[in-house]
Amino acid sequence: MKDVMGIIYTGEKDSFLRELTLQRAIAAVPVAGRYRVIDFFVSAMVNSGVRNVGVIMQKNYHSLMDHLGSGKEWDLHGKNDGLYILPPFLTRENVGVYNGSLDALHSNMNYLRRSRQDYVLFCNSLMVFNPNFNEMFHVLDDSCDAVLMYSKDPSLRRPEYGTYLDVDENGMVTDLEMDPTHPRYENTCMDTLFISKKLLIDLMDRAFAHGYHGLMRDVLQRMIRDAGLKVRGYEYHDLCYRMDSVQSYFQFNLDMLNTELRHNFFREDRPIYTKVRDQMPARYMDEASAINSMVADGCIINGRVEHSVIFRGVKIAKGATVKNCVIMQDARIDEGVYLENCILDKQAHIQKDGRLIGPKSYPIVISKNMVI
Amino acid sequence: MKNKKQCVAMLLAGGQGSRLGILTSDVAKPAIPYGGKYRIIDFPLSNCTNSGIDVVGVLTQYRPLLLNAYIGSGSPWDLDLAHGGVYVLPPYVTGKSGEWYSGTANAIYQNIQFIEQFNTDYVLILSGDHIYKMDYNKMLQFHIQNNADCTIAVREVPWEEASRFGIMNTNEDNSISEFEEKPAHPKSNKASMGVYIFTWEKLRQYLVEDAEDPNSANDFGKNIIPKMLGDEQRMFAYDFKGYWKDVGTIESLWEANMDLLTLPMPIDLYDTKWRIYGRNPGLAPHFIAEGASVRNSLITEGCEVFGNVDHSVIFSGVTIREGATVKDSVVMPGAVIERGAQVQRAIISEDAVIGAGATVGEATGNIAVVGTGVRLSAGGEVKAGEQYAGQ
Repeated sequence: MKDVMGIIYTGEKDSFLRELTLQRAIAAVPVAGRYRVIDFFVSAMVNSGVRNVGVIMQKNYHSLMDHLGSGKEWDLHGKNDGLYILPPFLTRENVGVYNGSLDALHSNMNYLRRSRQDYVLFCNSLMVFNPNFNEMFHVLDDSCDAVLMYSKDPSLRRPEYGTYLDVDENGMVTDLEMDPTHPRYENTCMDTLFISKKLLIDLMDRAFAHGYHGLMRDVLQRMIRDAGLKVRGYEYHDLCYRMDSVQSYFQFNLDMLNTELRHNFFREDRPIYTKVRDQMPARYMDEASAINSMVADGCIINGRVEHSVIFRGVKIAKGATVKNCVIMQDARIDEGVYLENCILDKQAHIQKDGRLIGPKSYPIVISKNMVI
Repeated sequence: MKNKKQCVAMLLAGGQGSRLGILTSDVAKPAIPYGGKYRIIDFPLSNCTNSGIDVVGVLTQYRPLLLNAYIGSGSPWDLDLAHGGVYVLPPYVTGKSGEWYSGTANAIYQNIQFIEQFNTDYVLILSGDHIYKMDYNKMLQFHIQNNADCTIAVREVPWEEASRFGIMNTNEDNSISEFEEKPAHPKSNKASMGVYIFTWEKLRQYLVEDAEDPNSANDFGKNIIPKMLGDEQRMFAYDFKGYWKDVGTIESLWEANMDLLTLPMPIDLYDTKWRIYGRNPGLAPHFIAEGASVRNSLITEGCEVFGNVDHSVIFSGVTIREGATVKDSVVMPGAVIERGAQVQRAIISEDAVIGAGATVGEATGNIAVVGTGVRLSAGGEVKAGEQYAGQ
């Protein structure tokens, strides 16, 4: 077994998710009733035997730090290894804001160097999936220098955004294209790279000396085309979502109401860990009627809930209807309210008899702490 | 001088709880699930941590395996500390002879060394079979103010039930004048809750004396308390008001769960200032399917409900399939209720499987029980008051 450290870069452009990322990084966006986006990556790493996980933070990282804490919930609080939170810092060479993933990695060179692992799994924090990384770790052998994960799932393709790979018949990556208007290659890069630490440090050093900032564009793309870097593609066949739009966020949450898809994600052999809130079980009252919904602990339900994801500690009063919605932690929905195709952020409060109906394709987003 | 802890808690968790029938055939009573996501021991442990008492010795003896694993490092209760925290204390061998804990007092006696390493002034004695929220620190302050040697927490019970309890007769200043175990004609309705605070120096002296008495049952209620009263030590009753439930029998365990479904809840488990902590199984939120119906119930993480649930407490990871009905029941972690099964006034223990079309319990009569990991075959029947432990 390879000794692997994981590095998660959470500095993605966060305008994709509109109001949901006003006060938090995408990695910290609440999903599936009780989780945050980053829980899936960290849990998958831990379940694949990774014991050293660094999380590179860029901005808006307060809620992410609060969520991850000491790493205890993921068993990442040991004496050796564990969870490392890597916020930007000012040095003579570093102005405090990372100009891309490569820049961020370079600033944390010391962490990379002093970690005792020989291999690095580097990824961003947009993906929500539950992979067994061990399969990917096995693919790295003498025939290649690095392994890059991709998917053929057409739902991951976006116009003018994303990285797409060309893979030859031997499974080797021959080209990468970044943010094309019309992606020419059918393989969507999942921004998950597995590489030996030594090579990564070497590549970084060379790239940095040339003033490059991005790992994909500046390093991988150039090195594959110009310097014969051998990168093998690893196709991921299972379910995967990318949190790069309100629509895909909404889709993922509501897809979890499909029993088959949910069982594919939440599996006994690969549990998803998260910060525990110690709330009592959800309580259904006399007038409650819930169907086709996911409901977390601490909720008090006395209204109608249909095809919705209800996070922890939500209160839905008598006579209220919630249909096709994602309702985040501690939101309150008063009597007689009707909500359809809405996303309510934490602690939002919809007062008596309020009505909000969004179009299915573009759900209404109510920001954190809003009272309507 | 050793690092000091003002008060050390000792939690008696070795009892078998034989009145719980097949529910305790594999686990000690404090490990019995309660309230959808807790185990009984979560209550005293959470009370300790919320009261600022951060050394807890848990005395185990009967079937400790699950309890040991559950307590683990104590991190769910913030009791994984460098100095202090939770310690599991099983009986051990000394030299050539080993000894089981022969009684509640003996269990503490055998752990005198454990207690003394904390250089403590007071010892709090708890039992692991009651559901209640209590600030032990307030009781400790009461004990200190009275300059007491022993303080016993009491609660007022209905007079007609008083003869079932250990009753404290008190003077005006709440000092205890007399202790009567299950009196036929009670003079007071203040019943002992099995929560004691002792000034350690005093208790130590009595424990040592008690251990030398071959006729003693080595029990707090039978020996230590009466002896201290006889010697006219300063003993006080501390009045506790609030929900307190002994879950020593099948019926009372069922009732205590049903209590959570009444409004207002007699014990507020939503209270964010006094959370009850427990080990979290890390499962997804529960799912209620199309065609399911859930009313008047508690449901927690990892459950999948395709059938009907009415006035019941459903624990983590339970599956209730299409057409199954669960009514007035308690379904413990991991149990599966197959299609069309009918469960009423029943306790379904952990990981039990109720086969398709099977019937457990009846609309009236005593509570039916299906044991841990037991599989009731399709179409099977368990009548009211029966305990089914498998073939």
